[in-house]
Amino acid sequence: MVADISTGLIAIGSGLAIGLSAIAAAMAESTIGAAAVGAMAEKEELFGKGLLLTVIPETLVIFGLVIAILILNLAKVS
Amino acid sequence: MLRPYQMHSVIITGPNNIQETVIKEIHNLKILHIVEHSKNELADIGRPLENAGRLSETLVKIRALIAALSIKKEEVKFELKKSLLEIESATKKLNQEASINLDELRKVEEQITKTQTAKQELEILKDIDVPLESFTSYKTLAYFTGYIKDKTSISYLKEELLEITEKFMLFDSISKKKPFIAIFIDAKNKEQANSILQKIGFSPINFSNIGNLKGNASGNLKKLEEEAKKLQQKKEFIKKNLERLSMEYKGFLIAADEFLDEQLEKAEAPLKFASTQSSFLIKGWIPTEELSKSIERLNKASKNRIFIHFELPKKEDKVPVKLRNPRYAKAFEFFIDLYSMPTYKEIDPTFFVFLTFPIFFGIMLGDIGYGIASFVIFWIFKKKIPKAKNFLNILLLASFVSILFGLLYGEFFGEEKILGYELWHLLSRMHDMFTLLYIAIGIGVVHVNIGLIIGFVNELKSHGVMKAIYEKASWFVLQIGVALLALSYFDKIDVSPLIGAVFLGLSVLMLLKGEGIKGLIELPSIFTNIMSYARLMAIGLSSVVLAVIVNDSAKEFFHKGGFFILIGVLILVIGHVINIALGLLGSFLHSLRLHYVEFFSKFFHGGAKKYKPFGLRE
Repeated sequence: MVADISTGLIAIGSGLAIGLSAIAAAMAESTIGAAAVGAMAEKEELFGKGLLLTVIPETLVIFGLVIAILILNLAKVS
Repeated sequence: MLRPYQMHSVIITGPNNIQETVIKEIHNLKILHIVEHSKNELADIGRPLENAGRLSETLVKIRALIAALSIKKEEVKFELKKSLLEIESATKKLNQEASINLDELRKVEEQITKTQTAKQELEILKDIDVPLESFTSYKTLAYFTGYIKDKTSISYLKEELLEITEKFMLFDSISKKKPFIAIFIDAKNKEQANSILQKIGFSPINFSNIGNLKGNASGNLKKLEEEAKKLQQKKEFIKKNLERLSMEYKGFLIAADEFLDEQLEKAEAPLKFASTQSSFLIKGWIPTEELSKSIERLNKASKNRIFIHFELPKKEDKVPVKLRNPRYAKAFEFFIDLYSMPTYKEIDPTFFVFLTFPIFFGIMLGDIGYGIASFVIFWIFKKKIPKAKNFLNILLLASFVSILFGLLYGEFFGEEKILGYELWHLLSRMHDMFTLLYIAIGIGVVHVNIGLIIGFVNELKSHGVMKAIYEKASWFVLQIGVALLALSYFDKIDVSPLIGAVFLGLSVLMLLKGEGIKGLIELPSIFTNIMSYARLMAIGLSSVVLAVIVNDSAKEFFHKGGFFILIGVLILVIGHVINIALGLLGSFLHSLRLHYVEFFSKFFHGGAKKYKPFGLRE
């Protein structure tokens, strides 16, 4: 498959959108996750809340994914 | 629905001599949520009943036995003689028998570890021809035992030692694939020998566990092995004894634990009461619909010698909450319980969660195959773990809705075609992702606004109409303003952008009045909240894409034929199992999160105590 450079740049752009947002979410989740496990060690009933709080930053990746799809789609249109 | 059970505040007073009767009756009723009295100048807390000390002592013994005999708690059928005296004596007897065995077991285990370490030390010395009694302390003689790094350095060691003195003996052997040496040398030359040994990487070993052994190592080794065997047999024997004990007394112990726990709860109940020298007072809550029946029974049990006062809760009362929901929505109270109990005056969101949770879950998982698979899994779980019934009922409903959405999407394990025949679909997730994105955001707008409406009603009830308008209705104005601005900016409607700006400004002023600076800071949150519903599309899409990848890579192997078909099947199975697990976890957590974070934040206060009647077991 031969593709010109603009296609490649678009792919990189959308890849960055999701990749960077995933890194951001991972950084946030690692802190929350560690704290949640610590809390669970003290009080096991906190499992539900801990799990839930841990996934809260996942919104970031979802925004990233939406932007990535938007970029790919814009490329298709142009 | 929407409101918890109505409660009445109840105060029961009576003379001390009927306290026990009243406690018994309350315990049987399982209806009174007792509010603990805290000591003040008017009244102290009550004293536990007479037998509380004995009860707790026996209970501790029984629990220790349960732990020591490693008995698992389960349902047992056992005819327990319900008298404390008999339980006490039976426990005492059992305790003696068990502790003899347990002590013996501990001793034997200690001996076993001792022989094991001695055996390890003997293994090292096995190939060195020195009697074991030589390894003691001397006045004029020093010895070194240990490993060296390299076998070739032994000759170097000999030469170096000869330079210091002729009075030494050197033994060497290979033990555990490492060269081992033992040197006996004149005590005067100890320091010098030590420095030589340092040079060739000597790491010393102490033989502290064979001090009382005599003769050569291999003979002793055999003896020790025999001894270890005997000890092992002894250990097995004791273990069998303990096992027999635990089998025999399992029923008794579990039943007694349960019985005594209940008795102790009753005996310690006065600690929650207020008491004077000759009377007691119990404060608590009873659901209104049970009130008259409970009062009647209490009066009858105490022969009308108690006084019961009851009234509706006052504004500042902290009322315990018992959620009231129709049977089909009851399972979803689990989610509310997990988060926080709504206060007595708030709207209970269980019913809304019941309506939207399975739908959100279905939109995200949305696959006929995955839906059926998870339905079957949860069905099996439900049969195996009856305790988690509520939770699994939620998941079963959610899986069912996933199947329905799978039919709408026309997806079966990620495939849109089966055997060349295309499944009917209303909307394909792979191809119409933007349509789905808009639908997801639309759902977000509706859901968040429902939350705001509930918040409005809550505020209206608790703080009046003005506060409700400033705090909650302002968000509606804000949304209208932003929508008008956006539409007029993109020339979708023929209105001046000024009108949108006016709405926007108005909403900001209202928020500032309603919530202060905090409201302004939170201004953008409503839009990120709505955008957050994009996950309804995103989670589903990622799950579909993964499924398609699994299917495509399996298909490649199928085309190759022969042995590769087996690999293809393996890829299909493993891939879909992982994807189902990820999909379930993701759909569940994100659906729940949309409720907790995006929905509840619009109206929920929570923090109330759960209604827990005295005597009711979980």
